[in-house]
Amino acid sequence: MGKRNISRRQFIGEASCAALGSLTLYNTLVNLGIMNTAATRPHIINTPNDYKAVVCILLAGGADSYNFLVPTEPTEYAQYVATRGSLALSNTANPPQLLPLNYNNNGRTFSVHAGLSAVQNLFNTNQLSFLTNIGTLIEPIANKTEFNSGAKKIPLGLYSHSDQIMQWQTSVPQSRSAVGVAGRLADILQDMNTIPEASMNISLAGKNRWQSGNETNEFSLSNTSTAATIGYTNYSSGLSNAGYLNDRKNKALDSLATQQYANIFHQTIGDLNKSTSESLEIFKVALANLVPLTTTFSATNLSNDLKKVAEVMKVRSFLGAKRQTFFVSYGGWDHHDDVINNQNVMLPIVSNALNEFNNAITELGLQDNVVTFTMSDFARTLTSNGNGSDHAWGGNSMIMGGPIKGGDIFGEFPSLSLTSPLNLSSRGLLLPTTSVDEFYAEIALWFGVSPNDLSYILPNICNFYSPNACPAPVPSGYMPIGMFS
Amino acid sequence: MSKHFILMFWLFGSILASAQPDTITIGFGDYHGVTVSASNSQTYSPETTLKQDGYLPNFNAASRFLGQSTLGYNMEDITEVTQLGIEDWIDSQFVKPVAFSLKNKVKEYHNFVKTATNNAAAGQIYRMWSYAWWQYHMASPDALRQRVALALSELFVISDKSLFGANSYALSSYYDVLLNNAFTNYRDLMEDVTFHPAMGVYLTYLNNPKSNPATNQFPDENYARELMQLFTIGTVKLNMDGSQVLNANGVPVPTYNNTDIAEFAKVFTGLSWADRTTFNRSAANDTSYTLPMIMFNASHETGVKNLLNGFVVPNRVPADGIADIQDAITNLFNHSNTPPFVARFLIQRLVTSNPSPGYIERVANVFVNNGQGVRGDMKAIIKAILLDPEAKACKNGENEAYGSLREPFFRYVQINKAFDASTLSGNYRNDMDYVYRFVQQKPLTSPSVFNFFQQEYQPIGPIEEADLVAPEFQITNAQTIMGYINSLYRFVIQENVADEYDLYTNEDDATYANQVSTIDLNDEVLLTDNNKLHILLDRLNLLLAQGRLSAGSLNIIKNVVMELPNGTTTEKRDRVKLAIYLIMSSPEYLINR
Repeated sequence: MGKRNISRRQFIGEASCAALGSLTLYNTLVNLGIMNTAATRPHIINTPNDYKAVVCILLAGGADSYNFLVPTEPTEYAQYVATRGSLALSNTANPPQLLPLNYNNNGRTFSVHAGLSAVQNLFNTNQLSFLTNIGTLIEPIANKTEFNSGAKKIPLGLYSHSDQIMQWQTSVPQSRSAVGVAGRLADILQDMNTIPEASMNISLAGKNRWQSGNETNEFSLSNTSTAATIGYTNYSSGLSNAGYLNDRKNKALDSLATQQYANIFHQTIGDLNKSTSESLEIFKVALANLVPLTTTFSATNLSNDLKKVAEVMKVRSFLGAKRQTFFVSYGGWDHHDDVINNQNVMLPIVSNALNEFNNAITELGLQDNVVTFTMSDFARTLTSNGNGSDHAWGGNSMIMGGPIKGGDIFGEFPSLSLTSPLNLSSRGLLLPTTSVDEFYAEIALWFGVSPNDLSYILPNICNFYSPNACPAPVPSGYMPIGMFS
Repeated sequence: MSKHFILMFWLFGSILASAQPDTITIGFGDYHGVTVSASNSQTYSPETTLKQDGYLPNFNAASRFLGQSTLGYNMEDITEVTQLGIEDWIDSQFVKPVAFSLKNKVKEYHNFVKTATNNAAAGQIYRMWSYAWWQYHMASPDALRQRVALALSELFVISDKSLFGANSYALSSYYDVLLNNAFTNYRDLMEDVTFHPAMGVYLTYLNNPKSNPATNQFPDENYARELMQLFTIGTVKLNMDGSQVLNANGVPVPTYNNTDIAEFAKVFTGLSWADRTTFNRSAANDTSYTLPMIMFNASHETGVKNLLNGFVVPNRVPADGIADIQDAITNLFNHSNTPPFVARFLIQRLVTSNPSPGYIERVANVFVNNGQGVRGDMKAIIKAILLDPEAKACKNGENEAYGSLREPFFRYVQINKAFDASTLSGNYRNDMDYVYRFVQQKPLTSPSVFNFFQQEYQPIGPIEEADLVAPEFQITNAQTIMGYINSLYRFVIQENVADEYDLYTNEDDATYANQVSTIDLNDEVLLTDNNKLHILLDRLNLLLAQGRLSAGSLNIIKNVVMELPNGTTTEKRDRVKLAIYLIMSSPEYLINR
């Protein structure tokens, strides 16, 4: 197992031998203590304009996303029906099982699952796009022959949940110990935020690899977190001198956490306890200043999670935040069984939540500052196992937000014929044609990462970029997928 | 032994303890600070002399051992271990039978509600599984079985986050499999789990049909994959000491590929409900989940199946799906990965996060052969884990890289056990709803088949930099840290130690009240005067933290507790509760060493 103990300072130190991007320079100055920390970290920032956020929605379990987005050009649709068998959605049923997209690329047309009606509207109004046949790769693999040749590096534990869900979050499929993409973003960019105790990375789903960096922990919130529920329970004011006692009690909790411990397990839990109590105080104050959103959200966990994300964005000035990532998880997509009925129930939940979140972002005036995307462990076998499907690889993601070129399908939608050179087995497992690396690279550059730092965020990125574009410097604005307008 | 006697011991013992608060630990295991001359120093070092069999564990060592072998314990239990010794205590546990069937207990609750209301659908049936679990664990003496079964529930994972989440029959019947097989054989476990319909539904191989090439339809691969990845062999080849086998390029060698999965998937076709006469029907009723699945051979994939290590399931004519499944279970049970894979998992659940290669190998060897030629003997495996020098050596407490984070749910059970939670009726009722909300853990509630946390999880910081793992940190985030501290407030300071609900709407108040749990702090309340507080803290340190809290930590706690008034019994009780709250929130308590 490779150790992942690159300290960030060490990394910056190495990077400083090369030409520095402006953001890296900013970090280096902060790290070297050249900038006066107290002076450069006022607790309420006065320039709210410079704000960007990335929101990741994990559809945990491996969603069958070749029923999210379906080709409708007659030949392609016929192939889809032949391959998917009992899992194919009808193009003629009433009520409809598929909803058409305003999209025509040289005759290729597509529909979305009928459960995605709000997504259809977001796509057709240029606020959302699809990324197709995207997956975890170490390097490009052209086809099945190349895959089987042994000449190409293959991700570890292909088709296993634990590996592929992790690799989507780390973008380092050759390692089981890599940290996450948003974690590495925070390693570089956290210091843009002015309150160090408020993590740049906020999770509505607890610990996750995506937001764990070499020096960054996520801060976990719950969708029921409010100013009133955050913090440690205290003795009621009925007790005489309750205020004093609570102060003593809570100080004792901190003292126990912050003692000098020699044992590394003690250190780790002590540090977590301490940083938690510090963060809780800051978030308690921030949420106490929340003026409720007017946008309404459905009563689902996913909608409530995204509502909480929007609320945190609304009080971001109290968190000193210029950059934030949010991690939300909606599980239960491992549809080895009953995929049709399950998606009929679950996709409207996703679709409505995306739409509501988009409304909230618009209410906040942040439509040009926030990018939201979905990921899943993998897509599923094109063929059926009765009325479900099994683990596969390349799949379809959604990406939403003003910075994104909407109404598009990025990447190359694959042939769904079992004779496709991208199909790796009789089950219909598709080799991805766009890598997660290429996707994250565009997100990272938009987010403000210097091209010099791109290979810190994405160690494999040079495998996907042409030699003259890599290693650094990647030319400014080099975004080959072209997601950003 | 009476509680009174133990209290006397503590008053006496603490005289010593006050002089040397946390190192009165002569005897088996921890011999810190003790000088011993070996009778023959050429053969035996002084350390060896003290570790010879025949020495009984001292109180701290006994408490530490019970932390590995139970879900919670009180002062009587500690005393029992000091008197019996560790091995005899284990043997005494092995002969304690399964106290009762959780499924039958659910049925009893359900019948009670039916009789009282004349309505089978009345009442909150979904809570009955939790009530049954709690009743078993609070009222039955087979503490080691309970600990092992809970560990197994985190290996052979099913969860109420599933189609049968509200079905108490499904959950209780499955847990019976784990309790029944805690001391049998690993192969029995694999078999009983495989045929249980809760697993069949959870991993979608109940009603898994054979192939239909005409419609591109293939067998469901779910159970085939997870049985290998999670329940037996893992994804990469292992040496007996748990280390990975590397190929010539230094790369780990996969144990199986996707073709192997498809072959195993063919084996797990044709199973369905035992109370149905045709394949591919839904459950007949709630209790369908209590009957092992049966084979519908007409829906079982025919033909040979090429399993691992060259093992071929023959083309049985006529089809015999049960024989095919037995073959597949045997193939995996006999795989060379299974002993180190299971050994490492169980050591991590019972003892420590990062067992040495030697420790894993010693236990794996016992998995291979219990000494009488039997493979997979659970009793032998459990004994090998708990009697290993690495488990017993309190000296590991001095190793700065040794430890494991206590599972949050265990901390909760411990409150109830250590302070003798009791009810007027002797019947316990606990939905365990609050502990789940606070810390995201209670039995059979994992978010997925991958358990609450994964074996390889590394938290950021010194543990990861040392290339060690700490699985339980994966569910340790700001919400659960805050939740845990606040759970202590609810369970200890407010004494709301269990969550009781009416069995059915308008259950009479007396019946309900007779099942409300209260904790017993009477022994502790006698020790709250300022000049006795150190005795109280020593006692709680032993009972809860195995004597590991340092003098510095005890001092922090003592100084806050002294701020509380100490006049009335209620005030004294408040002092005790604050001491428990602070001890249980301290890093030295939270980490097992």
